[in-house]
Amino acid sequence: MSTRIDVHHVTRVEGHGNIVVEVADGKMTECRFDVVETPRFFEAMLRGRPYEEASHITSRICGICATGHATTSLRASEKALGIQPSEQTVLLRKLSFHGEILDSHVLHVYMLIAPDFLGVGSVIPLAKSHPEVVLRALRMKKLAGDICAAVTGRHTHPIAMTVGGFTHFPKGKELEELRKRLVASREDVDATVELSATLPWPQFERDTEYVSLHRTDEYAFIDGDIVSTDGAQVPAEDYRQVTNEYLVPHSSAKWTRNRRDSLMVGALARFNNNYSQLHPRAKAAATALGIQPKITNPYLNTAAQVVEIVHCVEDAIVVIDQLLERGVRPEEPVAPTKAAGEGVGVCEVPRGLLIHHYWIGEDGKISGANCIIPTNQNIANLEADMQSLVPQIVEKPAKDMQLDLEMLVRAYDPCISCSVHLAKLERS
Amino acid sequence: MSTGKPARTLVIGIGNPLQSDDGLGVQASLMLENENLPAHVQVEELGTPGWGLLARMDGWPRVYVIDAVQMGQPPGTWQRFNQDEVSLVSQSGPVSLHEAGLAESLELANTLGIMPEEFVLYGVEPAVIEPGENLSPAVLQALPGLVEHIVEDLWKGT
Repeated sequence: MSTRIDVHHVTRVEGHGNIVVEVADGKMTECRFDVVETPRFFEAMLRGRPYEEASHITSRICGICATGHATTSLRASEKALGIQPSEQTVLLRKLSFHGEILDSHVLHVYMLIAPDFLGVGSVIPLAKSHPEVVLRALRMKKLAGDICAAVTGRHTHPIAMTVGGFTHFPKGKELEELRKRLVASREDVDATVELSATLPWPQFERDTEYVSLHRTDEYAFIDGDIVSTDGAQVPAEDYRQVTNEYLVPHSSAKWTRNRRDSLMVGALARFNNNYSQLHPRAKAAATALGIQPKITNPYLNTAAQVVEIVHCVEDAIVVIDQLLERGVRPEEPVAPTKAAGEGVGVCEVPRGLLIHHYWIGEDGKISGANCIIPTNQNIANLEADMQSLVPQIVEKPAKDMQLDLEMLVRAYDPCISCSVHLAKLERS
Repeated sequence: MSTGKPARTLVIGIGNPLQSDDGLGVQASLMLENENLPAHVQVEELGTPGWGLLARMDGWPRVYVIDAVQMGQPPGTWQRFNQDEVSLVSQSGPVSLHEAGLAESLELANTLGIMPEEFVLYGVEPAVIEPGENLSPAVLQALPGLVEHIVEDLWKGT
């Protein structure tokens, strides 16, 4: 007797990915996660363009990580050109990052994951059965979007972020208003933790190498060393020592591995590596959710996202207080100290480690670019999880197996449309 | 349509300018910003907002959206859909090219009862949806007429 699960275009993940699993006589004979998105040639798009345009181009790659791509791009150019951003710029970027992480995690937890647990096929029936849950998600999303817009000058795709600083500055009144809304949102945040604590996360363990940024001074989202639970620690510039990209025939995205056959990036990796730097309220949320590092159940990536929702709301309040105390003043972007160079920008975007590596020529144009996106780094690990999970659930009816596998894919929060870049497949 | 103060109106351009004609809504909204518009109108390009569209529409009594829509018409053809017509289209399949799409966003807004009092979609048939930063000649040619029509609609307050 054989069972074949062939899920084309797993729903509720960004982009397109296929699950292919075949079981014959109780044994797994095939298990793959195919990525079939059309490659997006954004590295090629960057080549020959003035570096000032790079953040605007790359922020269009994705409507979810727009600020993340823009910031990583700016950091790459700034490092290449010897620019040290001001303290105010660092604070403003941090605030917009918190807005984006919050926005993305709320989307994932409520619109993409909750329907699985609440027994409905998508967010539309969820809105019928639990309208208050969906309205809460939208309230939080709106606040997150408004934070990004106040700092970056526009909703979805930032316009005011530039190499060396900002071209638009939030007014004190706007920040005070956002602070009030953040404080008021604690009710929604607490409700999110409560809801998540009731969800029956599937039981499945597979240890892997968890990779994230790490800073000595704070829970890292922008800049830092690349570290792992297996003891790796390299400066951003040496990212290739950790990512080791390679190609496989059934995927148009590049895969990565370091000390094991696969590695995992994202909220769970950050949680495992940087737990001690979370805000106390976020740690309390982790306790309420029953998670402490090191977590090796990939389904709990979503729970780690809930912890980060709490952290980002709380730290956004802290950052606003710092900005209000020092006062936000319009300032000119910091000028380059050299005309040409090479630089690596690293950030922790909602789905994990994002790397932009640029080469800028004397003419101020980008002569080469390499972008490594979180989902790329996770695909090998996702497939390894599937291969470990299938034998454990092989007795289940095909429909239940399929749901377990789809939920696993969704737990990674993959953004496949973004993960595909310039993969050259050579078949012999 | 009514007397008194006109409803505050948000005009949103949607799409990805890195995907050729998919970015036509963004281009149209940039063109609109250079037009003489009534004071109660705000124009914004939202790029690819996904579900963020819902959060953005919140609090606006009237919302106009400009987007690339596959209607099976010759490229560059544009059509104005009012709220009822949009929901009809969304039931028969995705009207929009965006993954966390316009159709789903509107369906969710309808389900939750949070649609703006008035919603209008200006859909334009795209010719080319692939990586690239230029609009096709058919779409480029169509946009000025569309923009002119939207400006008229905004002044009429329809």
